[in-house]
Amino acid sequence: MSIIHDSQDAIVIQDVVKSFRKKTIRGEYTTFKSELVRWLRGQRQPKQKQFIEALRGINLRIPKGKTMAILGRNGSGKSTLLKLITGIYSPTTGKIDVHGRISALLDLGAGFHPDFSGRENILINGIILGMSRTEVKAKMDDIIAFSELGEFIDEPVRTYSSGMYMRLAFSVATHVDPDILIIDEILAVGDEHFSKKSLAKMLEFKRQGKTIVLVTHDLGTVERWCDMAAWIDGGRIRRVGTPAEIAQEYRQAVAIAEANSTIFTPPALAEGDAGRLPEVPAAVQAPAVPAPPAAPEPVVLSSVQLVDGTGAEPRSLSPEQAVEVRIDYTAREGTEGAELELSIEAADGRPLYVTSTRTDAVALPARLPEQGRVRFLIERLGLLGGEYVLSVQARVPGASFTGPKAQCRFAVVSEREDHGLFRPAHKWVVEEAPAEQRLPELARVSAS
Amino acid sequence: MIRHFRELYQYRGLLLSLVQRELKARYRGSVLGFFWTFLNPTLHMLVYWLLFGVISKNRVENYPFFMFVGLLPWMWFSTSVNGGASAISDRRDLMTKVRFPAQVLPATVVTTNLCNFVFSLPLLLVMGIIFGVWPTWHIVAFPLVVLTQLCFTLAVVYVVSALNVTFRDLQHIITNLMMMWFFITPVLYQSSSIPEKYRLVMSLANPMAILMTSYQAMFYEHRLPDAVPLLGLLVASGVLLWGASQLFESRREEFAESI
Repeated sequence: MSIIHDSQDAIVIQDVVKSFRKKTIRGEYTTFKSELVRWLRGQRQPKQKQFIEALRGINLRIPKGKTMAILGRNGSGKSTLLKLITGIYSPTTGKIDVHGRISALLDLGAGFHPDFSGRENILINGIILGMSRTEVKAKMDDIIAFSELGEFIDEPVRTYSSGMYMRLAFSVATHVDPDILIIDEILAVGDEHFSKKSLAKMLEFKRQGKTIVLVTHDLGTVERWCDMAAWIDGGRIRRVGTPAEIAQEYRQAVAIAEANSTIFTPPALAEGDAGRLPEVPAAVQAPAVPAPPAAPEPVVLSSVQLVDGTGAEPRSLSPEQAVEVRIDYTAREGTEGAELELSIEAADGRPLYVTSTRTDAVALPARLPEQGRVRFLIERLGLLGGEYVLSVQARVPGASFTGPKAQCRFAVVSEREDHGLFRPAHKWVVEEAPAEQRLPELARVSAS
Repeated sequence: MIRHFRELYQYRGLLLSLVQRELKARYRGSVLGFFWTFLNPTLHMLVYWLLFGVISKNRVENYPFFMFVGLLPWMWFSTSVNGGASAISDRRDLMTKVRFPAQVLPATVVTTNLCNFVFSLPLLLVMGIIFGVWPTWHIVAFPLVVLTQLCFTLAVVYVVSALNVTFRDLQHIITNLMMMWFFITPVLYQSSSIPEKYRLVMSLANPMAILMTSYQAMFYEHRLPDAVPLLGLLVASGVLLWGASQLFESRREEFAESI
């Protein structure tokens, strides 16, 4: 790693390939005994010297001061990439330039000794993470205060609850003053209160213009906190872009994979491109919100919200649940003849149900008030488990206006293993002998 | 090699803290605490004295003291090598999760045991006084002997710790080898009692024999150590350390992946 100053990029990764020996991955160690046995059997060469490519040529630039999210499924090579950036691994081929002091939070509490007090462990852990002794001692009080361990700080770490342990470790890690911070899915540490503090600390890093590289599976975090996102799939960078774009495409690809019930193979173990997520159809990739027209729009949907029966915004829905869609809009004065179109789509963009106020012959006020709300009530959701997109669009045929789609994602969690597209309201009746002959009759009627 | 030791110097704060922690850990949670430093070699000495002094009636004068002179530095060496073998392979948590100068770990083991050795020196002095053997000016050569042993031990520990990552059973083999090495080294017996035929080979081909006889010369025989073998060993240890650090550096890339 060379250090070049005044560069725009904090990290430059060029054509990095990383392969591992297969036996290392299987976790078999060579021993003198095994070598001796092999030698006695007359096998000169070890049988397999196969390599596994975890990363197959990564090119990535991470600009200074940006927060970059790295997305990808398990086994797609995210952690390997982080370890390469950190310098724990060295690339098989390719080059990584890192400009600045780097601190990696790949694992919390590296080198903690259970018999030592929190205070003593802060010292060692801080030094391991790259601080000097004097630096750690100067920051000791801050670290202790941030960890909120109080009197426990002088107790041996083995007496800590796991939450306390993580809090202490996180406090040390965030007090290292790096130029580049590398985080591997550890933001969700401790209770609600501490998570908030951790996020605040991360925002502080951002404000100070530090570069952050973050691996997470929480797409919400990506969309909210990151400036850029890179999607790694099958050991290659699949796409780099804005968090919203990447998160959306990622979700869709995962949903398609699930719908096709693609068997998951860790990409590192797969040959060629197997194990990658399917491509998202081009039509779906189109940005959800087209560029706004210059003229003020007759109807603007200010919010589309999905709430359950109690009016709360649910995290996930159940198929049998009643839901309500709340559509808030603002209208230009004197807008006439507006319509709302509502559709429920599968995560891959297939429309499952499309309706509109015109189709259902629902009269909106002839002249829309300046602000208003339309509620769409569904007595029973009737969808199967999975991810869905609800989108609402306003139209004014008279003014030949079609507004942008306002989308709202939701997940349905089903406890049953039924599958298909929807779940009709149904029940089974089990009888010993057919009580009436009506049922076959009915079938005949519907068949004819 | 220069980079290797420069990095080690850069991380001296870490080395120091780790050594401090190891020392504290050893004495924490035991009733006798610091006195373990004394108790451990004393118990060893008692066993060997019973075996070789009482039962097989060794005729070395002040035999317990004589054994002590050799036992203390030998224990520094053997605990370092035994512990150093797994210094890297046992620290998966550090090697795979943090960017970490691996050479600090074997160095920590050697330094920790050096500290234990130094702490146990007062015991040697007390033992000497009990047996009426007072230290003489000849101990001026002591730092040189310790330096030689430090270089040699560090070199051996680098090699075994690096190899043990690939060959995991090395640490068990090492334990047995160390036992053998102990008995072919004049710790419990004087090198003069080795049959004439083998004496030269056994005392010059074995670096530990040169070191042990040097300690015995200073503390027991009240003379300066033989200069030629000792200085020769110092140079050889330097070369060995250079080679060991090269080997260590060449394997280092693999540590994180193989552990």
